[in-house]
Amino acid sequence: MIEAVNLTKRYGSKTAVHDVSFTVKPGIVTGFLGPNGAGKSTTMRLIVGLDRPTGGSVTVNGSDYARLRAPLREVGVLLDAKAVHTGRSARGHLLAIAATHGIPRSRVDEVIGLTGLDAVAGKRVSGFSLGMGQRLGIAAALLGDPATLILDEPVNGLDPEGVIWVRNLARHLAKEGRTVFLSSHLMSEMAQTADHIIVLGRGRVIADAPVGEILALASGTAVRVRTPDSERFGALLAADGEAQVSSSEPGLLEVSGLTAPRIGELAAAEGVVLHELSPLSASLEDAYLALTQDEVEYHAGGTEVA
Amino acid sequence: MTSTPERTAREHTTLSGLSFGGILRSEWIKLRTLRSTVWCYAIIVALTIGLGLLLAAVMPSGGVMTQSTTPSADAQQAAWLQATTLGIGFGELVSAVLGALVITGEYGTGMIRSTLTAVPKRLPALLAKAIVFGVTTFVVSLLSLVATALLTAPLMPAKDVHPDFGDGSFWLAIVGGAGYLAFIGVLALAIGSIIRNSAGGISAVLGLILVAPVIVQILVGVTRSKWAQNLGSFLPNSAGGKMYSYAPTATTPADGVVSLDPGQGFLVLALWFAVAFVIGAIMLKRRDA
Repeated sequence: MIEAVNLTKRYGSKTAVHDVSFTVKPGIVTGFLGPNGAGKSTTMRLIVGLDRPTGGSVTVNGSDYARLRAPLREVGVLLDAKAVHTGRSARGHLLAIAATHGIPRSRVDEVIGLTGLDAVAGKRVSGFSLGMGQRLGIAAALLGDPATLILDEPVNGLDPEGVIWVRNLARHLAKEGRTVFLSSHLMSEMAQTADHIIVLGRGRVIADAPVGEILALASGTAVRVRTPDSERFGALLAADGEAQVSSSEPGLLEVSGLTAPRIGELAAAEGVVLHELSPLSASLEDAYLALTQDEVEYHAGGTEVA
Repeated sequence: MTSTPERTAREHTTLSGLSFGGILRSEWIKLRTLRSTVWCYAIIVALTIGLGLLLAAVMPSGGVMTQSTTPSADAQQAAWLQATTLGIGFGELVSAVLGALVITGEYGTGMIRSTLTAVPKRLPALLAKAIVFGVTTFVVSLLSLVATALLTAPLMPAKDVHPDFGDGSFWLAIVGGAGYLAFIGVLALAIGSIIRNSAGGISAVLGLILVAPVIVQILVGVTRSKWAQNLGSFLPNSAGGKMYSYAPTATTPADGVVSLDPGQGFLVLALWFAVAFVIGAIMLKRRDA
């Protein structure tokens, strides 16, 4: 359980996190979604006390992170894969972290096996690929067998197999009743992993809801209708007043404002032959773009949005 | 290789928490798992023994200071000590660089974030670093100085110097030399914790050890004043240098010019460390990592 209350962080004149409040619950995977620079990493750093909040507070299991008696036993964190001395071997790195909490060598070997690092554990981290670095970071997060996991962009740099592995791991950990909080700037990734999503844009929470609701939030439910009688049927639907009808090719209509069953009923009443009648769920990607289009700090092309 | 994780949890039978002993162990693992540590200590050992043997082989009869064929007992011990401790002047640079790297290397690589999430109260981590690095440097320095003393001893009689192994002040100076190397190292560590950058930290420390004495010397030459001479006596390397000098009270200083004895020299060096460490600790506690 992670609780942020009116959390604010300013760096000089720049506000990275602005009055953010949210709760991350155990037993589910909570996604932390936002464009680059939205304040996701800063928020995660605030949770584990690396940065000091300018205002508000954040607690883990009801306590300040710094006050926890055994921080690594309660919270496992992957902030970025580069939080490792590159001159040390992966095993040396994990042993050093484990030693602070008296975590035995057997557990170090266990997380090395779990993250598939057996073959490279004795090698110096400077030679690691980004994907291997991520695995090492995740191994470090799992060391204390913590009830809460905070993973910042865990799939960055992973190959497709690794992405699936992280996805399964996150779901598995949540199923065990743990609190799993992972960030990404990719909506598609979240759609496949998270149960609940908190969307952050320019340091503010702009949505905090189950995945399904986030989808519905931005999708005007459109319905695709294919009929040989498209011109007559389109005019008929448009005349209804509630519906917006558009057509991108002959014989194909996109209708919003009416449900698929209602359109089917109208077609039957008018004797219109339908070849296709399918509700279009907006993709999560579309929903995300709709939610954050005003919140992106820098758009492509370098035009800064004021 | 990595399929679905079958088991992430383990038995919560013996759950240990965060402890200072654990943090000390962690810092010890960190120190010995870096190649730079091994290299730096090897260089300290090689410099101490190598330069000691070199001086013992080439020094004139009776030692550099007296050059008498019938030197006093004190002068003989001082000559033996000089050969034994010659390497300290170079070893201190290695110790300083390594000390700064112990902390700035973590900032440079990002390791500090792993360290501080494991030890969120922060100060125990800094303290453990200083203790582990200081004790290790002391032990390595002491062993190499003792080895140098034993290896140079057989060469000394040829120079009309007859080492007295039962002389307590000689061994005290050897311990002082090891303590000096350790304290220069932890002073560098403390300065590194303030500056947080390898290049900057190393420059600052070497500036304090190498450049500051030269500047003070120039001041002394230009102003011919006692305050400039006294200022020089309180710099870390000249104050600390007293820790491994033999019979330092033999010379009578001029009026108003401070001459520190080994104990005072140690206290001045310890004060340098304490001030830098407190500033570093406060900044570590306050700054975002």
